[in-house]
Amino acid sequence: MAKEPVRVLVTGAAGQIGYALVPMIARGVMLGSDQPIILHMLDIEPATEALNGVKMELVDAAFPLLIDVVATTDAMVACKGVNIAVMVGGFPRKEGMERKDVMSKNVSIYKAQASALEKQAAPDCKVLVVANPANTNALILKEFAPSIPEKNITCLTRLDHNRALGQLSERLKIHVGQVKNVIIWGSHSSTQYPDVNHATVTPTNSEEKPVRSVVADDNWLNTEFITTVQQRGAAIIKARKLSSALSAASAACDHIRDWVLGTPKGTWVSMGVYSDGSYGIQSGIIYSFPVTCDKGQWSIAQGLKIDDFSREKMDATAKELVEEKTLAYSCLN
Amino acid sequence: MAKEPVRVLVTGAAGQIGYALVPMIARGVMLGADQPVILHMLDIPPAAETLNGVKMELVDAAFPLLKGVVATTDVVEACTGVNVAVMVGGFPRKEGMERKDVMSKNVSIYKSQASALEQHAAPNCKVLVVANPANTNALILKEFAPSIPAKNITCLTRLDHNRALGQISEKLNVQVSDVKNVIIWGNHSSSQYPDVNHATVMTPSGEKPVRELVKDDAWLNGEFITTVQQRGAAIIKARKLSSALSAASAACDHIRDWVLGTPEGTWVSMGVYSDGSYNAPAGVIYSFPVTCKNGEWTIVQGLAIDEFSRKKLDLTGQELTEEKELAYSCLS
Repeated sequence: MAKEPVRVLVTGAAGQIGYALVPMIARGVMLGSDQPIILHMLDIEPATEALNGVKMELVDAAFPLLIDVVATTDAMVACKGVNIAVMVGGFPRKEGMERKDVMSKNVSIYKAQASALEKQAAPDCKVLVVANPANTNALILKEFAPSIPEKNITCLTRLDHNRALGQLSERLKIHVGQVKNVIIWGSHSSTQYPDVNHATVTPTNSEEKPVRSVVADDNWLNTEFITTVQQRGAAIIKARKLSSALSAASAACDHIRDWVLGTPKGTWVSMGVYSDGSYGIQSGIIYSFPVTCDKGQWSIAQGLKIDDFSREKMDATAKELVEEKTLAYSCLN
Repeated sequence: MAKEPVRVLVTGAAGQIGYALVPMIARGVMLGADQPVILHMLDIPPAAETLNGVKMELVDAAFPLLKGVVATTDVVEACTGVNVAVMVGGFPRKEGMERKDVMSKNVSIYKSQASALEQHAAPNCKVLVVANPANTNALILKEFAPSIPAKNITCLTRLDHNRALGQISEKLNVQVSDVKNVIIWGNHSSSQYPDVNHATVMTPSGEKPVRELVKDDAWLNGEFITTVQQRGAAIIKARKLSSALSAASAACDHIRDWVLGTPEGTWVSMGVYSDGSYNAPAGVIYSFPVTCKNGEWTIVQGLAIDEFSRKKLDLTGQELTEEKELAYSCLS
């Protein structure tokens, strides 16, 4: 007996990340190869034709799991009955724009979408904000959709988490599947703190070891490794002349899949979630923490030792998020 | 005990279709969720930085099944040891170019890639040509890689096949997975013949012929055919770009069914080296209905071909024969 379809919304679906993401969702990467999907795709009016082109291609791909596609420029229609919402749409930073301008545009967008989601989405809808500034867009969404449980509103730092795993796997010349438990603390921005203090690597035919001892290069781990992960987005843009789409879409699938289906035993992942004050991080912001997931709920992995070096970095990224929050609120007044 | 990795080559990997295709391969869509892969990506030197960007993103995605990535502009390195080769790279038609010019450029490309594949690919390498003119590029590849078994060189008409299933499912308002056994005959071009005479739909009261359920022969013999034939242009009109998502997905379907087998009672469409079945011209790459088992495709035989279909099969066959002549004239 086939499962009931799950409705998945992708906003900004006519863009690059959307184009990479929708076939992944339609193939079961996000929710499993036995979970039928109804895709809701939203974009703005100027993108109507392109959006329809994406819908046509989804029909042309004859995906067995894809029960239906709703392609629309109407947020209320897009949000109706959705169980999962991946918010990729946002106002991109253009040359000459000040940070305040980008923030201002996005705050308006996320305030409006909060309203539509709150009214129309299915109960217990899980929300993932991808569009930058991801943490603050997610916060605005939370603030203006008070009936959506705050634990259901998250932002994407899984891309940074996966990038950190990738950098370690390249350094150690080992398969990325053998590295785990890095942590991305804080903002998705370049103040993020990629922390390997609790990360482990399991070499072939050997037992789990701490990454620090296997890498045996604290200087690299405390400097170049961190800046490489922080600035990876820019490096991709330099090489491709376009933002990361493939890896961002893949990380979005990983984020939702682990949230819904659970993290493997002994493994945590990084998610931007509403801070409850854990690890001395003030509550009231969306901050990336190490989390495990079980039965559709995330829990912050508690009790991890934080050294002075880490403390400073964790606080710095929190400070930036508090400033962003202040800036966002000033845009609304 | 994990399987040994399979090496999959994608040429033109820095382009649109490549960008859609590589994450699908890395997630197991092409060869199964338990099959580790090593991706070989080839593109031309002007695309080297972009290609490296794609490699970086593949590393950044931390795919559990992806055991290695070789990103190169060197065709020998790209072809070494590959078990599956998806040839997406080709010379695109630009405004003002004559058909002969496009053909000429692509014939050169496929002649040299034939050589590299023949010398460096793993034995029994399965080849799928996507770049247009797909059938003729595949034929040139076959002709200049004589030690690759002819049966291992195919071209993509699965996109057209899937498009046909999609159109029927929309017309009947049924799930696309309940529609099967359309056929795409002939060329991937607009002379292709999408044939529903043997297609069926699974209904609550069992499998029924598409013609019976649609009850609109005029549509099936007219608009349905032209819609499928011209769908590529319709996508370009809407997106301002060629189909990438659906082409990549079809490439995965083509290889997966070839390698892992078609479901019982179901055939798919593949461009394969014609043995003259159904009076199609022999010695061209022609799309037929095929079933797949144990890594081999077999043309479905004995299907009744009515007069309407006969004309269409012959028309697309004729175009392929002309393309073959044009291709050879470019080489002389």
